[in-house]
Amino acid sequence: MKRHLRPLILIVVCLAVLIPFASNAPDGLERVAGTLGIEEYAPTWMGLMPDYTLPAIDNPYISTLLAGTFGIFLVLGIAFILGMAITKPNK
Amino acid sequence: MHIPDGFLSPAICGLTYAISTAFLVWSWKKARVTYPRSLAPLLAVSSAFVFAAQMINFPIAYGTSGHLVGGTFLSILLGPYAAILSMTIVLMMQALFFADGGIFTFGANVFNMAVIGGLSFFLVRFLTKDPKRSDRFFLSVFLASWLSVVSGALACGLQIGFSPVFSDAGGIAVTVPAMLFWHVLIGLGEAAITTTLISQLHRLQPAVLNGLAILRGETT
Repeated sequence: MKRHLRPLILIVVCLAVLIPFASNAPDGLERVAGTLGIEEYAPTWMGLMPDYTLPAIDNPYISTLLAGTFGIFLVLGIAFILGMAITKPNK
Repeated sequence: MHIPDGFLSPAICGLTYAISTAFLVWSWKKARVTYPRSLAPLLAVSSAFVFAAQMINFPIAYGTSGHLVGGTFLSILLGPYAAILSMTIVLMMQALFFADGGIFTFGANVFNMAVIGGLSFFLVRFLTKDPKRSDRFFLSVFLASWLSVVSGALACGLQIGFSPVFSDAGGIAVTVPAMLFWHVLIGLGEAAITTTLISQLHRLQPAVLNGLAILRGETT
């Protein structure tokens, strides 16, 4: 378990360092839609943390960092369950 | 490249859901006879990494950005079947909790990023030929990760181009070249990051590269 804790901490630290440098420019698909004058609808399902922010927190950095950290552990947990389901025991 | 709800017609949504489901069933069946239990923690950590990496957009040019998709990266760490399933988990959590990618367009997003990303493993295998030669392997990873993003963008361009929202704006004759133009560039970022990560892991933690072990025929 300890062997996997280190990369996990590294992932959260890297995220914390890189968030301020992340580009807010539209991505490839958003850019194509924008150029063609196509509006993105308000999502049918907002999720709990739309656009990787916690609506309750004003500071955008803290908000994104908390949402991201939540997502990292969420994905970690679900992917581990998947991993247990698709692998053979005692090997 | 995450398609939001509203961009695709119901027919395209249904079709891509069906195709992606078929690939997921195939991956699941293959995975169950391929992997030892020791893969589970690595699958968890590498999925978490890809989720975090997809949050960090890098600027490309002319006010457009892109981010790592990570399909080829996952396929070298986990092999193709677990890579497809791992990326599907990432996309599912993004759609459910972060409104990144739609619910109805989920099938299309799984196909464009998870399926194509995972299948890029077979391109790496085809190009590498002798997996003991690491220079050739890294070059294959570079090309396959670039092509995985470009192919995903091609698929995405076709899906949106055949949907009414975009067909009024010119259809695939406009959407495909536009998607390819940006993703040829974004793919270079994908290729640079993927090759750097894989070559560093190859140097520092070669044991985590299960996909490479599969290439070498070292797996059960």
